[in-house]
Amino acid sequence: MSARLRIYLTGVGGQGTLTATTLLSRTLLDQGLDVVSGEIHGMAQRGGVVESTILVGGWRSPSIQHGEADVILGFEALETLRGLPYLAPGGAVFSSTDFVPPPGVNMGRESLPPIRDIEEHTAQLTRKSCFLPLQELGRQAGSVQSGNTALLGAFCASGLLPVGVDALAKGIRSYLPPKIVDVNLRALELGASAIGQCI
Amino acid sequence: MNHPLLAPEGARQLLLGNEAIVRGALEAGVNMVTCYPGTPSSEVPDNFRRIAACGRFRLEYSVNEKVALEVAAGAALAGALCLVTMKHVGVNVAADPLLTMTYTGLPGGLVLLSADDPGCHSSQNEQDNRNYARFASMPCFEPASAQEAKDMAKAAFILARESQQPVLLRTTTRVNHLRGPVLFGPLPETPAPVLPFVRDPRRFVPVPAVARIRHRALAAKLEAVREQAETSPFNSVSGGEAEVGIVASGISRAYLHDVLLAEGWQDKVRVFDFGLTWPLPEKALDRFMCSVKTVLVLEEGEGLVERDLRALAQERSIPVSIMGKGGSGECTEGPLSIFGEYSTLAVRDALAPLVDKNAALSCGVNCLELPQRPPNLCPGCAHRSVFFAVRKLFGDEAFYSSDIGCYTLGLLPPLAAADFLFCMGSSISAGSGFARAGGRPVVAFIGDSTFFHSGLTGLVNAVFNRHNLLVVILDNGTTAMTGHQPNPGVAQEVLGDTSRHLDIESVVRGCGVERVASVRGYNQKAMQQLLLEMKAEDGVRVLIVEEPCVLYARRTLKKVRTQRAYVEEQGQDALSCLESLACPAFRRVGSEISVDTELCAGCMVCMQLSTSFKARKREES
Repeated sequence: MSARLRIYLTGVGGQGTLTATTLLSRTLLDQGLDVVSGEIHGMAQRGGVVESTILVGGWRSPSIQHGEADVILGFEALETLRGLPYLAPGGAVFSSTDFVPPPGVNMGRESLPPIRDIEEHTAQLTRKSCFLPLQELGRQAGSVQSGNTALLGAFCASGLLPVGVDALAKGIRSYLPPKIVDVNLRALELGASAIGQCI
Repeated sequence: MNHPLLAPEGARQLLLGNEAIVRGALEAGVNMVTCYPGTPSSEVPDNFRRIAACGRFRLEYSVNEKVALEVAAGAALAGALCLVTMKHVGVNVAADPLLTMTYTGLPGGLVLLSADDPGCHSSQNEQDNRNYARFASMPCFEPASAQEAKDMAKAAFILARESQQPVLLRTTTRVNHLRGPVLFGPLPETPAPVLPFVRDPRRFVPVPAVARIRHRALAAKLEAVREQAETSPFNSVSGGEAEVGIVASGISRAYLHDVLLAEGWQDKVRVFDFGLTWPLPEKALDRFMCSVKTVLVLEEGEGLVERDLRALAQERSIPVSIMGKGGSGECTEGPLSIFGEYSTLAVRDALAPLVDKNAALSCGVNCLELPQRPPNLCPGCAHRSVFFAVRKLFGDEAFYSSDIGCYTLGLLPPLAAADFLFCMGSSISAGSGFARAGGRPVVAFIGDSTFFHSGLTGLVNAVFNRHNLLVVILDNGTTAMTGHQPNPGVAQEVLGDTSRHLDIESVVRGCGVERVASVRGYNQKAMQQLLLEMKAEDGVRVLIVEEPCVLYARRTLKKVRTQRAYVEEQGQDALSCLESLACPAFRRVGSEISVDTELCAGCMVCMQLSTSFKARKREES
């Protein structure tokens, strides 16, 4: 495990990508790690791509370039695929298997790649990948939105981060609104146990 | 009041760059904040708004940047310590007062935050506002981290009050929107004292005789600040004996740090970290250039520091080779250009030939051709309804003069409701000129906040000069694009006691417009009827379309529509509605059309356009 880690997070506006980014960043800072995080969200609310970053262990830049991401967290499958050029050699990919169809697909002009293709494309780049049905895990935990936390749970349980699932559970209790803490703790556990099927 | 930004000294929090600026201003004891919202600056006033109840400062959302700067400058004349925030293009609007207030000086102290946007993440240009530091003769701070955003904001206020000169805090999108740990300094018991104004027309009334003297006074002030810049802790040299020196400013400093760290090149270069970047600390830069053989300048935007260093080296006969923007010889564009943002890759590629001849340069990655996600008007956005109606009645016969706001997104087909655009407020005035010269109908679209910002003056001009155009004011009751900030058009119930609502129709009539009508944005029949009438008329016609922004209606007004659309009858009729309205809640699989009930906002515009769409009660989720 590298002491320095660059994490690239991607999703679609309204999915909670930035909430997940801030939660993980604050958790890492509370664990005494050096953290800088970045986000580009000018028009995020209007269905655009939301990209954010978390750089751990002494980096100062808030952005990540192609080939630099040690970890990709994709909260939406098409955006995972779009984000793959950011992956560094030997990096890991954690992704949702669910899609939020873009306008061209909704209007019947374009089509989505099958999830199997995305998984295979990822497998050609790295052996470390984990695709999870986040909406289903979120539903099991109590709300579809908590699926993001399941992905964070899988990441924390993978051993790729210098902190584990307990630290994130603490972060959830500290930083999420009280009424959604329990749901997110359940999602965290579901994600953490799902990691066994992947890496 | 208990808020993380008001935490005591010693707290260490993960802050957005813009939140860090708020904390820095609080630590300096800011008395008054004025602004016009604009990405990437908006979180600064929005965070002040969240803590306004603490009573330490007065916050004002002004109607435009010129007014914001003038109000704050007036307060600074009256002795208050002031902050004015805006995006880079806003400084153009405020440039008139700015270039004279540096002559008079402002005894209370004023800091101007200019949030630049290299890469045009959400702007119409990528102008480099470090030019304003030079143009207006303002000291300029350029932070590169959240901690520096806090520390430099505070230092900028201290300098502004000490020197009585306006100070520029210049950030870029990456700095405004990064998050990093910030160690808090002490919060003063009370805000800065408001200094009594000493009447002095020979300083504060810049008639020509005064202005000539004040120009000299400004030059002298700047020389005094230059001495501070020579020894400022924000201008520091690190690294050992090396032949290669790097002068880096802004976020490029972060990229440089990470490249040196990743490549292990720390010992191969000497670095001049340049944070208080204007006026130029000439002695310190002279010493630095003399200590190396080659200097690489890292600065996003224009090659300003590069040119300054070339001039300084020439003037002082310093034997140093200076490198910066542009390729050499046949290369048209090197890794460092005036276009867009820098990055770790660009910095690495620029540095590699100087420190490690064997380092391979990064090669471009071929990105996959995937379905794109262009930003889109929300489901239920009344702008879509308006654009549909206007397009239906005016078609390609008219030209569409657009403006700055969510409605600029109407440029995409099938709505295609934007043919040209310059800046805030340009829709009415540019539309006036276009109609006069082009001889074709012009429809100008402008939002409520943008109308108050600078559409008003264009409207008065259009009436005065007897122009001929249809102005559609898209009144969604808030400043939607930047995150629902107040403006004079916002309802009184939402504004509360600190601001007063202005009625747009009365304002328009007050400007002398005789043909004015108001209509609800979801009412296609009434809207099309009015558009049809106005199409047949001449002169300045104003149609005010009132319908709250859907997000604002849901979040602030707590209005939820109880109906949802569904497709009752498949066929050509439903298909043509999908293709002409292009609502994001529509779905098409093969020839089957449906409405995503999660996304449908219940505006029921589709139902008015096509009998294939019907409404039903929203199911409780």
